[in-house]
Amino acid sequence: MPMRRVVILLLSCCLFGLSAAAAPKTGGTYRFPLATDPPTLDPAQITDTTSHSVASEIFNGLVTYDEKLKITPDLAERWEVSPDKRTYTFYLKKGVKFHHGRECTAHDFRDTFERVLNPATHSPRTGFIDRLKGAKAYMQGQADHVEGITVVDDHTLQLTLAQPFNLFLHLLTYTSNYVVPKEVAEQYGKDFTSHPVGTGPFRFVSWKHDDHLILEANHAYVAGRPYLDRIHYRILPEEVTRLEEFKAGNLEHSDIATGQFASVKNDPKLSKLIVSYPNLGTYALRFNMEKAPFKGNRKLRQAFNYAIDRQAIADIILEGRVIPATGVLPPTMPGYNPQLQGYHYDPQRAQQLLAEAGYPKGVGFPQIDLYFNTSDTHQKIAELVQAYLQQLGIQIGLRTLDWAAYIKLVDDGGTLLHRMGWIADYPDPENFLTVLHHSRNIGPAGNSARYSNPKVDALLDRADATDDWDERKRLYQEVERIIVDDAPWIYVYYYSANTLFQPSVKGLRLTGMDPQMDIGLQPMRLIWLDQ
Amino acid sequence: MLRFMVRRLFTLIPVMFGVTLVIFFLSYISLGDPVRAMMGQRGDPEVIAQIRQDYGLDLPFYQQYTRYLGNLLQGDLGRSYRLQRRVSEMIIERLPATLRLATAAMLLAVVCGCTAGILAALRPSSWIDHLVMVVSLFGISTPVFWSGLMLILLFASQWRWFPISGYGDGGLWHLILPAITLGALQTGYIARMTRSSLRDVMHQDYMQTARAKGLREHIIICKHGLKNAAIPVVTVMGISFADLLTGAPLTETIFAWPGIGRMMVSAVGNRDFPVVMGCTLVFALVYVMANLVVDMLYTWLDPRIRYDQKA
Repeated sequence: MPMRRVVILLLSCCLFGLSAAAAPKTGGTYRFPLATDPPTLDPAQITDTTSHSVASEIFNGLVTYDEKLKITPDLAERWEVSPDKRTYTFYLKKGVKFHHGRECTAHDFRDTFERVLNPATHSPRTGFIDRLKGAKAYMQGQADHVEGITVVDDHTLQLTLAQPFNLFLHLLTYTSNYVVPKEVAEQYGKDFTSHPVGTGPFRFVSWKHDDHLILEANHAYVAGRPYLDRIHYRILPEEVTRLEEFKAGNLEHSDIATGQFASVKNDPKLSKLIVSYPNLGTYALRFNMEKAPFKGNRKLRQAFNYAIDRQAIADIILEGRVIPATGVLPPTMPGYNPQLQGYHYDPQRAQQLLAEAGYPKGVGFPQIDLYFNTSDTHQKIAELVQAYLQQLGIQIGLRTLDWAAYIKLVDDGGTLLHRMGWIADYPDPENFLTVLHHSRNIGPAGNSARYSNPKVDALLDRADATDDWDERKRLYQEVERIIVDDAPWIYVYYYSANTLFQPSVKGLRLTGMDPQMDIGLQPMRLIWLDQ
Repeated sequence: MLRFMVRRLFTLIPVMFGVTLVIFFLSYISLGDPVRAMMGQRGDPEVIAQIRQDYGLDLPFYQQYTRYLGNLLQGDLGRSYRLQRRVSEMIIERLPATLRLATAAMLLAVVCGCTAGILAALRPSSWIDHLVMVVSLFGISTPVFWSGLMLILLFASQWRWFPISGYGDGGLWHLILPAITLGALQTGYIARMTRSSLRDVMHQDYMQTARAKGLREHIIICKHGLKNAAIPVVTVMGISFADLLTGAPLTETIFAWPGIGRMMVSAVGNRDFPVVMGCTLVFALVYVMANLVVDMLYTWLDPRIRYDQKA
C-alpha cells in the first residue's frame, strides 16, 4: 500500500513536469509565499528551510544537486578526489562574478570556509565544514588559517580532510558553504544578513521585514540569466490566508491549509493544480532508551508500535497526504528497503507483547507523558496515540511546549516519549541512520532516543567508511532492520509535499528535498511563466 | 498641570526599571535556551556552549542584568540573538505599521462605539438598544482569528472589495479589514461603556435642571450629558489604545501585517530575549503615556479635578 501511494505521488510530480515541455518565455514576476520572515540571509547563519530557500537563489556553492539528487557541479566545473579519499581538488568555473561585479575565485571559497569556522562568526553550522584538516585548531584559536584549505591558483582549490568522509561533497551543498565576498561580509559585519551579495541567478533588491522581499534577475549569471525578471517573496504566516491568496491568483504556488486538503481535492479546478511528491522525511515518536520503563524492554517498545494504526493517522488526521511509515528511511531515499515490513496495526499482538514485557493489560505500567512541540497536527496525532494506548490499558498524559523549551528538554533527555520529525540534510542513509542512531550522537547531535547498540554502531561505522555503494546499501539495510526490530521509535509516517501551482508555472524540477512551500532545492532560474 | 506632567514623567524611571527587572528575571528562569532554539533540530554541543559564552548567557543573573542595564542606559537595546539585527532598528521599522493599525482600529472603535452607545442610551429598551447590545456582545466575544478569517472570506475572497492580506504600499484598502478585526472588541466595550455611563448621567439632577431651563435636547446631551459621561469612557479608551498597540499579534498574523506584535510573539517563541525586552519596554512606555494622556483629559472633562493642588 505505501509503495502504491509513492508511485502515485511520483507519477503526479512527473505528469506535472511533462506539461512543462514547451518553449520557455522570459519575463514576469514569481510571487512566492513564505510562512515566516527569513531569520537571516547570511549563509553562515542559516539553519532553516525558509532562509535557505531565498539564499539558494542569491548564492552558490561548489557543488549542488541535480533533479535525481546526485551531486553535480555548481561553481566548480569539475573535481578530483585523491586515492586516499582525503583531498578534493576543485577546478572552478571562470568568469563567475559576484553581484557587485568582482570575479569570484578560489580565494573567496577559502575566506568563506574560514569565516564559517571563525568563532567570532557564531555560525551554528560549523559541523558542515569542520572535517577539514586543521579546522578544529583554527576554531580553537590555535592556528591563524585552516591547514586543509589550499588555494592552488585563482581557479583551483584543494580541500583536505582530517579523515576520509564519503559524504563530504554532500556537506558542501549546504547553505553555510555558499561563497560570499569577504570585503562585503566584513564591511557589513552582522548586518551582512540585510545586504547579501552572492554569485547566484538572482540579486537582492529590498526587504520589508515581515511583509515582502524582492530579488531580481542577475543578467550576468554564469549560466545565463534566469527566465524570471523578479521573485517577489510574500511573508504570509497564516496558511488559510495563503490559500485564499492563491485562489485569488495572487501567488504562483501555495501549500494547502490543514483541514482543507479534502475540499481542495474535491474542487474540480483546484484539484488539477496539486503537485504531490514524497519528501525525504520521517515522523516518529521516540522513546527514551536510557530510562525505565523503555530501557532494556524491547517487547514493550514493540507493543507500542503494534498498538498504533498508522494508516488511520495518515488518513484521518493528515487527510491521506502522507505515507504510513514502516521504518527509518523514507521511500525515495537511496537505500530504502521496500521489503522492510515494520509494524502494522495489531492490537492482539500488542497486548501479548505488553504482557511479555511485564505489563499484562497495562497493569503496573507507570504514568508517563508524551511530549510534543505546540502544533495542531502534533496535538491531534498525540491524542489518537493516547487513545490507542488506552485500548491496551496504558494511560499516558500529553504535554506540549513551545520549540525552544521543547528541544532543550529533549536534548537533556528529560522526556520518556517525545515526537520528532526529521527531514534529510542530504539524500544519503547516513543522515538518518548514523546521525539519528549512532551512540556518539546521543543528545543534541541527533540521537534524541538515546539509542545505543554496539552492533549497530559497528555496522554504521563500516557503512559510512566504504565507498562501494552496493556494500553500503547492504550494510545500511541490515542496520535499519536491526534498529526497527529494536524499536527505539514508533514509526508514524513519511512526509510528502502537496503543493498547489498555478497552471502558468513551468519548469518545475521538484525533488524529495523540496519542502512543500519553501521548495528550496527547486532552481528558480529554471522556472518560467506561461502568461 | 506642568508640574504634574513632569512628576508623572519622572515616575517613568522606576516603572521602566521595574519592567526591565521583572522581564529579565522571567526570561532568565524561563524554560528553553535561545542558542539551542537558534541551532534548529541538530546542534553541536561545543558550538552551543561557545555561543552561549560569547553572548554572556552562561553568566549569573545579576551580571547579565547589569550588563543589559548598562547598555540600555547608553541607548543600546542590543542585537537579536536569532536575527543578528539591532533591536532598535527592528522596532523602528515595525512601529509605523503597528501605529497605523492601532490608530485606525481606535478611530473605528471610538466613532462606532460612541455612536452606538449614545443611540442605545437615548432609547433604552428599544430595538436599537437591544441591537447595539447584541452586536457589541458579538464584537467582544468573537475571537479575532475567526472574525478576521470571515472578513477575508467574504469581503476579500468572495466579493473582492478589499485585498486579502499584506501591508501593500500603505494604502487605505489594505488597512480596513485588519482595522475592523482588531477594533471590534474595543468597539463593543466602548459602546457598552458609553451606553451605561450616559444612562446614569441622564437621570442626574443637573440634566433635569437643564431641561427645565428650556435647553434643546441635543445641547443637553452633547454639552451636559456626554461630557459628564465621558470620564469612564475615556478611561476605557486609554487602556484600549494601549491594548490595540500591544495586542495585535493575531490580527497581524491573519492579515500578514508587519507589526511589532507578531515580531514579539516570534521572539518569545525563540527566546530571543533582547527583542522581547525591547518590545516590552516600548509597550510599557505606551501604557504609561496612555495613562498620562487619560489623566490630563480628566482635567478638561471635569474642571474639579486639579492635580497640582495640595491635599
